[in-house]
Amino acid sequence: MTERGAARRPDHLSAVPDPESRPPSDVGDLLRAVARGDEAAFGRLYDLVSPRVYGLIRRVLRDPAQAEEVAQEVLVEVWRTAARFDAGRGSATAWIFTIAHRRAVDRVRAEQASADRTMRVGVASVDTPYDEVVDEVSGRLERQQVRRCLDDLTDLQRQAVTLAYYQGHSYREVADLLEAPLPTVKTRMRDGLIRLRDCLGTEVNA
Amino acid sequence: MTTTDIHALLGAYALDAVDDLERVAFERHVAECEACRTEVGELRETATRLADSTWSVPPPRLRSDVMAAIGRTRQLPPVESARTVVPRATAPRWRRLTAVAVAAGILAAGASAGVWVVQEQRVRDERAVVAAAEAREARTRSILSATDLVVRTAPIIGGGRVTVASSASQGASVVSMRADASPAKDRAFQMWTIRGTGPAVSAGVLPAGQASAVEIVQGVPGNDVFAISLEPAGGSPSPHEVVSQVFLT
Repeated sequence: MTERGAARRPDHLSAVPDPESRPPSDVGDLLRAVARGDEAAFGRLYDLVSPRVYGLIRRVLRDPAQAEEVAQEVLVEVWRTAARFDAGRGSATAWIFTIAHRRAVDRVRAEQASADRTMRVGVASVDTPYDEVVDEVSGRLERQQVRRCLDDLTDLQRQAVTLAYYQGHSYREVADLLEAPLPTVKTRMRDGLIRLRDCLGTEVNA
Repeated sequence: MTTTDIHALLGAYALDAVDDLERVAFERHVAECEACRTEVGELRETATRLADSTWSVPPPRLRSDVMAAIGRTRQLPPVESARTVVPRATAPRWRRLTAVAVAAGILAAGASAGVWVVQEQRVRDERAVVAAAEAREARTRSILSATDLVVRTAPIIGGGRVTVASSASQGASVVSMRADASPAKDRAFQMWTIRGTGPAVSAGVLPAGQASAVEIVQGVPGNDVFAISLEPAGGSPSPHEVVSQVFLT
């Protein structure tokens, strides 16, 4: 699949995003318009990022009802604080997903603290066919890239990074789960991300 | 916690895998470390790419709910709205907000112990307890939001961690400790401050058998070491079995 997709796009054209992939500059432009109170721009930004925001939160929380609630908080927070986005500190996409991920993790920790986590697994495991269709056209290239780069990590690097990011575990919990020393886990998280960065960076330019 | 320790949290921080106090400590470190800022930025961007593989279509009502919610949500102005915005001008306010978030986290962490205290004393004087709890909360917030906050942590022998968040301008620290193992019923954790080669001065004793606490301790800034020891219930005039030392200078 990947080879075919790559072959369709000559190298010298790779900087031009194809219509299905997300053009990162658009998120930045839309966010700047949102900062000026442009509700229509927010609607377009919603359409661009909400499947990933909701998908990420749902992946971390597992529970669709809670994911919906937290996703709404995050998206309203993006609207509320858009003017505080500082392009000098990173991309608009990273800014939005930092808010989303932190909110999801905060919710996980709050639940652990209150120790009354209810499992609603039955509902959580249902995926609509519509999901798959949209997945197919929109996220395929990026997903494959991320997965391939994750496969390039050592087992410990990959487990440390994914347990933290997708499950919302703290590095202490990750150390417990992997039965690895704390300093090792901290180091693997960092060098795992560095390796991932290098892999994704190379692939973007390839 | 030394600068090296904090720096080692770079990857964990980028993955939101640190606790609230470590987050504050790290963000303070980053504010003064240009190279760290660059690396954190890059690793955050990288972590964000992990969300690429999490597509899931939200229920259609989410869009209408969100659009309705923004219609009644006032937007915040840019930081320092009335003046020329310099790139780094956002940092102090951002850090203050973070400190407030930490205060909330600490208060939540201390909540279970707090509830117990409130229940025990309710019969005696409910209003005084509530007033004291509110004052304590306000004091915690003011210490943690001080611009000169320094956060240091150290492990506890036998498992656990002590974090001391100190503000010289407030003349006090918020100490958060959690030991993995509770002391025996007739033993208690006692807190100490040590200056130079002088004797250890008691900074308070926890109730016997209690393994965790969030305490406001006056006069910690200016000392060299904050220590925790294990003592007979009620405490001792000088420390016997030191289980943790946090170096403050």
